[in-house]
Amino acid sequence: MEKARELKFESPDFIQRLKGMLGVDFYRLFHTPMYYIFLAIAAIIPAMILGMTSIENAEGVVAPLYTNTWQIVAAETPLYVVSDIAEYANMNMVFIFGGIMVSIFIGHDYKSGYVKQLFTTHAKKQDYMMSKALVGAFSMACMCITYLLGGVIAGLLVGASFEVNVISLIFAVLGKMVMSLGWASLYTFLNIIFRRYFGISIASSFFFGTGILIIGVAAIIGNNSALNIFLYGSSVYACLSATAVSFIICLAVSIIWSIIYTVLGTKILSKSDVY
Amino acid sequence: MESNAIEIRNLSKSFRGMYALDDLNMTVPVGAIYGFIGENGSGKSTTEKLICGHLVPNGGEIKLFGRDYRDAGVRVRVGALIENAGCFPGSSVWNNLMMQAINLNLENPEEEIRRVLKIVRMEDSASIKFKSCSLGMKQRIGIAMALLGDPALLILDEPINGLDTDGMRIMREILVDITQKYSTTVLISSHILGELEKIATHYGIIRQGKMIQEISAKEMESRARVFVSVKTKDMKGAEAVLKAKFDNVREEDEYLRVYDMDDTESIVEYLIKSGHVVSEIKKNKIGLEEYYIELMSGTAARKEEE
Repeated sequence: MEKARELKFESPDFIQRLKGMLGVDFYRLFHTPMYYIFLAIAAIIPAMILGMTSIENAEGVVAPLYTNTWQIVAAETPLYVVSDIAEYANMNMVFIFGGIMVSIFIGHDYKSGYVKQLFTTHAKKQDYMMSKALVGAFSMACMCITYLLGGVIAGLLVGASFEVNVISLIFAVLGKMVMSLGWASLYTFLNIIFRRYFGISIASSFFFGTGILIIGVAAIIGNNSALNIFLYGSSVYACLSATAVSFIICLAVSIIWSIIYTVLGTKILSKSDVY
Repeated sequence: MESNAIEIRNLSKSFRGMYALDDLNMTVPVGAIYGFIGENGSGKSTTEKLICGHLVPNGGEIKLFGRDYRDAGVRVRVGALIENAGCFPGSSVWNNLMMQAINLNLENPEEEIRRVLKIVRMEDSASIKFKSCSLGMKQRIGIAMALLGDPALLILDEPINGLDTDGMRIMREILVDITQKYSTTVLISSHILGELEKIATHYGIIRQGKMIQEISAKEMESRARVFVSVKTKDMKGAEAVLKAKFDNVREEDEYLRVYDMDDTESIVEYLIKSGHVVSEIKKNKIGLEEYYIELMSGTAARKEEE
């Protein structure tokens, strides 16, 4: 009998705790078909849009919505007010797909009851918030890549122009990729607020992901660069005329909002029942 | 070394103004199998969820092994099975266990998973999807999840509910194994008192959010009343005869019970002398279920008097 063993309680440090939580989330992510489905969706959507808007209409006229392949990735200039779908439908759509994916990912934690295992062994609620935000950001960044690939392949197939300022394109894509962190933190926060209501979680993520609030504000105040302080504003700012400054602004805005949402979400989880 | 695994003082929890727990006190010694008993809605699950940090208390103090229950060091040594196993239905048993092993930062996750699967007698079921498992298997997987990382405290909420006789036996053997081999403290709530009685070393009886009594199995055994059950052809006549000689005679469950008495020979002799034929007689001791019912009816009566 091993009954005489001594009980030891060693507190795991922050890195160990986050490593454990991130490990679970990444293991889950790579072992669930949902992740690969969303990567495929992110690739198919730009290809479909580019392809379908480049074919002949009923009158036999070809009136492409996009004159350049890279317009499916980002707008030429930061346009907060959108007047047609071409100005809106670009890589920012990844943040809508990502919102739905994060909602399903967190929703499954609650639906399956696995969240009980996580919160039993993790006394610190910030572990959960940070891990979900980082995994969500990683997924969206991957979606940005598949989106780019889907757009490029479709561009090649329809014979669209590839003319672009490469440096600006790189900053635009990197800018959008770093925005993933801010968006993922927002979605994690929304899902924590609506953790008992799966449907509302998805709906709220979709609603905020469309950037409709900022588009609405922009319709009133016009194309104002002050809107860059918001996630959608910065995401739009990462456009085909982006510079290193645009990228730094995206990075800063994304990190600041991520911290804000993580702190708020941690407070909510710590002060209220977790399910 | 800390002598108590769980120490709860004046714990309160309300939901929308309704108190589920009201100044609850509880002490679970290290190494105990603590049977947590109470009616539906008495506050058992709420207490367990509070200990696991799933709910936020309105007031009071929870200490695990002498530390605050929010201490990260003590919480990684808590395993729980609350309401269900908490597994992803579409994932295999192995993958579900692997996630928890990674969550706990275990050094040799594969080895540890094999160890806990062996404890719960499911070595050959690792590749099965969780959703394809039977209820008994799911409960055992839940225990395996809770056992990962060598927990010092195991919290099990109704783990034997819905299990068949064989499932209950396996579960009982597993729990005894765990406490004997690994000196894990177990807090287990259950309605199936007969099963609980076979394994528990301590009991806590809760009613309407308050702890009515905490008692060790040994103490209960020493306090348990003995009685003799008798069956005769003329039960009414025999009852009258026995009541004339013994203080506490009652008819219960088609038997005449003579309480605080274990001398069957003198009862048989007395009944024969009085002209009654004894068809059945046996010595008994009050079990957990009867003890619980008596305690509850006594508490209810006292409450009514108040």
